[in-house]
Amino acid sequence: MRRIAIIGAAIVALSAIGFAVLAQSESDDDLVEGLSFLGEPVTVADIAAGETLYAENCASCHGAELEGQPDWRRRLDNGRMPAPPHDETGHTWHHSDRNLFIVTKGGVGAIVPGYESDMPAYEGILTDDEIADVLSYIKSTWPDRQREFQAEVTANDKGDL
Amino acid sequence: MSLGEGQEMTNRTLNFEPDRRHFLALGMGAAAVLVLPGAVLAAGRAADIRTLAFDGDTLLIAGATLRSSPDGGRSWHDRPTPSPVSSIATHPARPGRLLAGLARGGVTASDDGGTTWTARSEGLASGEVTALAVAAGNPDMIYAAIRGDGLWKTEDAGATWALAMDRPWLDAAERDPLTLASVDLETGMGGIWIYAGTEKGLVRVPDCFCRWQDVQPGNAMDALVAGDAPPAEAPLPANEPVLSLASAPSTPSILYAALPSGVWTSQDGGVVWTQTANGQGSAIAVHPSNENHVAAVLDGTLKLSRDGGATWTVLAVV
Repeated sequence: MRRIAIIGAAIVALSAIGFAVLAQSESDDDLVEGLSFLGEPVTVADIAAGETLYAENCASCHGAELEGQPDWRRRLDNGRMPAPPHDETGHTWHHSDRNLFIVTKGGVGAIVPGYESDMPAYEGILTDDEIADVLSYIKSTWPDRQREFQAEVTANDKGDL
Repeated sequence: MSLGEGQEMTNRTLNFEPDRRHFLALGMGAAAVLVLPGAVLAAGRAADIRTLAFDGDTLLIAGATLRSSPDGGRSWHDRPTPSPVSSIATHPARPGRLLAGLARGGVTASDDGGTTWTARSEGLASGEVTALAVAAGNPDMIYAAIRGDGLWKTEDAGATWALAMDRPWLDAAERDPLTLASVDLETGMGGIWIYAGTEKGLVRVPDCFCRWQDVQPGNAMDALVAGDAPPAEAPLPANEPVLSLASAPSTPSILYAALPSGVWTSQDGGVVWTQTANGQGSAIAVHPSNENHVAAVLDGTLKLSRDGGATWTVLAVV
């Protein structure tokens, strides 16, 4: 009787390990190679969620194809700059993950005091995870050169959130 | 007047016998005739100086035309430009290459120290080139500010130009950069800074051209995020234009600025400034390998300092 119980416990334990390994391998398959945000790996699901959130919250200004507003290097009549592109033609890939997260959550004024921008702070509109998803989606669209450049900028940014 | 009086005057004139006083007066007059035009010319030439630069040890002054001195101001050589110059720029890695922003628009370049010039304005907006700078880390990357337009850049030493960014917005209006300096200090965005002096003060933009902004201490963003007290600052006077600006290539955190109140210097990239000379400052340049070797135009006079602006020697431009 005791032997049967031991065998049963072993089977349960092995099964649990098997499920865990299986689950882990599925998760690994889901990761996007070479892409992280704030040090965390990014999954295909994160990017899909980010793409949807981008379309709903960002595309109206930054463009459905991340192309930015027309003539974005020229100031608007109100003195503010138009929304820049988020693709490789813009400057987004020059900023670290932390910088992008702070600007998105708190607005440009969160890093440049007094700077006036038409971009709202997304705190209270998007959760931290959602902001991370949007920015992960944007990063996923960059060519290798821009992605590698931005990864280095991020690695050199030792600040805290 | 009687005939007798007239005869007396004539006779007195005819009988003129010069004494020591007459010789002294005559000598002083002759000296004035010989020296004054030179002095007036020298002063006039100094007053004509719109901008300064060093090409190695050679000091360049420019305005209506360009002149160079290879020996610290003892001799000067004309280097005629196609038209009057508003701004000049050089780079330590390209000795002999001079870039001149023209008052009537366009950029011209010389690769032989100013003997010959070639137009480098393809794609550049028209209008006075108020300021010009070569990127500290890339001698083929050049920035030009066009009056009433914006900041332009070329990545191929002026062969082609593209708009980099609009002008800075200060005190409810766009302001022309009157001077530019590529400052080899990291932005934290994978590049370095471009500083601009305007009629409303000093601003800077990262070379990714994301946004013009005030000069802040390096850890200002961290302090802001953490809610800590901002680091100490001592900015340039708020009510003065920044007419000329130079970053020392040998120590990029050392900046010099020429303002109507004089020459100011910063040791920390423009956060804390101190005044080093009084007078109407209008132009300044710093030697490429000696951060204490500075040339400036103060009160319309060209001056040189070998000690970071503590003492100055007047240079005659003849």
